Amino acid sequence: MSESLESGAPSFLDQFPAEAKLVRATLWSSFTALILGGLFGIIQTLHRTDILRVMDSSYYYTVLTAHGVLMVVSFTIFFLVGVFTWGVVRSLDRPLVDMRYSWTWYGLMVLGTLMAVVAVLGGFVDTTEMSADVLFTFYAPLQAHPLFYGGLAIFLIGSWLAGADWFRAWYAWKREHPDERIPLQTFMALTTMLMWYIASIGITIAVVVFLLPWSLGLFDEVNALLTRTLFWFWGHPVVYFWLMPAYMLWYTVLPKLAGGRLFSDPLARVVFVLFLLLSTPVGIHHQYVDPGIAEGFKFIAMTNTMFLLLPSLLTAFTVVASMEYGARRRGGTGLFGWLRALPWARPAFTGMALAGLMFAAGGFSGMINAGMNINYLVHNTLWVPGHFHLTVGTAVGLTFMAATYWLWPQLTNKPLFSRPIGLLQVVMWFVGMALMSNAMHVSGLFGVPRRTAEPQYEGFDFTPAFGTMNEFDMQIAVGGTLLFLSLGLFIGNVVLTSLGSKQSGLGDSLPPALSGPSDSPVVLDNLKLWLGIALVLVVLAYSLPLVSIISRGGLFGPGVGTYPVIIDTFSAVVESVATTGIIETLAQFEVGVIVQ
Amino acid sequence: MSTETPKREIDHEEFDPKGTLALILIYFVILSILWVFMYFIEFLGNDLTVIG
Ligand code: HEM
Ligand SMILES: [Cu+2]
Repeated sequence: MSESLESGAPSFLDQFPAEAKLVRATLWSSFTALILGGLFGIIQTLHRTDILRVMDSSYYYTVLTAHGVLMVVSFTIFFLVGVFTWGVVRSLDRPLVDMRYSWTWYGLMVLGTLMAVVAVLGGFVDTTEMSADVLFTFYAPLQAHPLFYGGLAIFLIGSWLAGADWFRAWYAWKREHPDERIPLQTFMALTTMLMWYIASIGITIAVVVFLLPWSLGLFDEVNALLTRTLFWFWGHPVVYFWLMPAYMLWYTVLPKLAGGRLFSDPLARVVFVLFLLLSTPVGIHHQYVDPGIAEGFKFIAMTNTMFLLLPSLLTAFTVVASMEYGARRRGGTGLFGWLRALPWARPAFTGMALAGLMFAAGGFSGMINAGMNINYLVHNTLWVPGHFHLTVGTAVGLTFMAATYWLWPQLTNKPLFSRPIGLLQVVMWFVGMALMSNAMHVSGLFGVPRRTAEPQYEGFDFTPAFGTMNEFDMQIAVGGTLLFLSLGLFIGNVVLTSLGSKQSGLGDSLPPALSGPSDSPVVLDNLKLWLGIALVLVVLAYSLPLVSIISRGGLFGPGVGTYPVIIDTFSAVVESVATTGIIETLAQFEVGVIVQ
Repeated sequence: MSTETPKREIDHEEFDPKGTLALILIYFVILSILWVFMYFIEFLGNDLTVIG
């Protein structure tokens, strides 16, 4: 059946049963979030395209918040902690130091997720005041129930402790192997976590110092621009936090699946160091249209962002070259003919390769987003979700699903239930996403807004230069439906695999790189040095903007009221009065900032 | 298993990723074309979005 069956090697489960159990738990949490997130995804897709409206539009933000939070916080990060635990333990070839500690961080992450999700789902229950319809960006003055911020904080603490766990394992390993280079997968996990710790400074201050006490009523106002800026201080590096486990899989597993090995270990290390250095000092590129931040700071963020393209281009080269190496070993020839020699029948390979291809497309729309002037064209339009469903939604999401087909048997000692279904699933995701994302990009260009329950307006029509709005809506709906069906196939395959019976010898080894770590300068492994430089870059990029934001608006904001998003379904009159009030105050706020 | 029994053994020196280079060049060409296309979308498809 599966090729790994024939390898006969002991699996990860055979070698590290306690760790395998933990990794399985994190992945189950991840998949649960994925399937729930997908359910909300299809509801909002059919709703906003006006194909099927199963709920009142006043619930749209509750659904959208649930979709965003479950997908990009729970699905991705639970998968990350699983893959990093697996990668660290596998590459150090030693167990974690203390499993009770490890289960503690996992428990905290679960608890935090449950708290946040309960707060969000409270938005559906009319009899409770509890809600958190703040979208995954939770910008003030939108306010969530304290449970949401509290849950977020606990989830973050869990993720920090997870990182500390991998550092502990590495220290223990170092004592046993004093003069050796850090194994590649561990190196990747550790540099990613250093980036995460730096990024967390922003979100921690935003949540713990401002938003949580504010939602508890300890003070009445926050500086909306300050908390937004602190959010994006974290919000850009978090996209690399999602991506780095996918990169780890592309660098270390994909070449093996292609029948070869990683082309260059040193290049992989350089890429991870570059991400550590450059991920954080770019967050302001999400705030190009925010009033109150000087153009100069935005320009610096743009320049840094363009530098950040470098490690991704290096990755494209290294990963594709590793695949080509595998293909040529498998007998492939010619300038492009080797592509045919790749193992396209394996869902793990095909899924990851298609994910990489979509990432290349996402790279283009990302460059548009990153350009200060052209960003104005697409800002807050459907283009933006179109972009990140290619990147986090597919480059990351599809890679995770594809990798599961390879990893899951080694965590359970159960062969994959069905490879053909797996193959169908990854292709379906690719096709569905191509449709949905393409139509989202195009609609965005014609001004269709994102985050809108009913983007159909009376007395106004979008005028696309080609096609019709109806066609785009249909593409989005059909694409979204394919994605949802694909999710069903994925989860079904995993569940049926888990119900199967155990076999031995399902392990699969990962060969060392063609050009090994000994070819690279030792300084690459000097994590303290890179952490120091990264911190300096962050201080350079953020101190002046933050000082200017605080000196203009004060720590607690230039007089913006608080708006819990509670919609009173009984009294339309009260509602419309209140909404007008909000719009007026917001308008005053914006005018105030611009005048300043 | 495929890795253990390659059809052809290739070592570090003789491996020359020319297919990869070709693919990446194609990607750059597509990027440039899209970039030019973007100019038309931005300036001809809509009113100017950048003012002052
Ligand atoms: C079944 C598959 C999916 C469908 C049908 C779907 C559909 C959608 C749609 C239509 C929107 C835009 C809604 C609006 O702006 O009004 C959206 C937003 C979003 N999606 Fe998905 N999506 C899917 C999977 C994913 C995945 C896998 C991820 C990430 C891992 C993801 C992350 C997001 C995020 C972060 C938003 C933005 C939420 C916000 O604006 O606050 N989605 N999704
Ligand atoms: Cu960003």
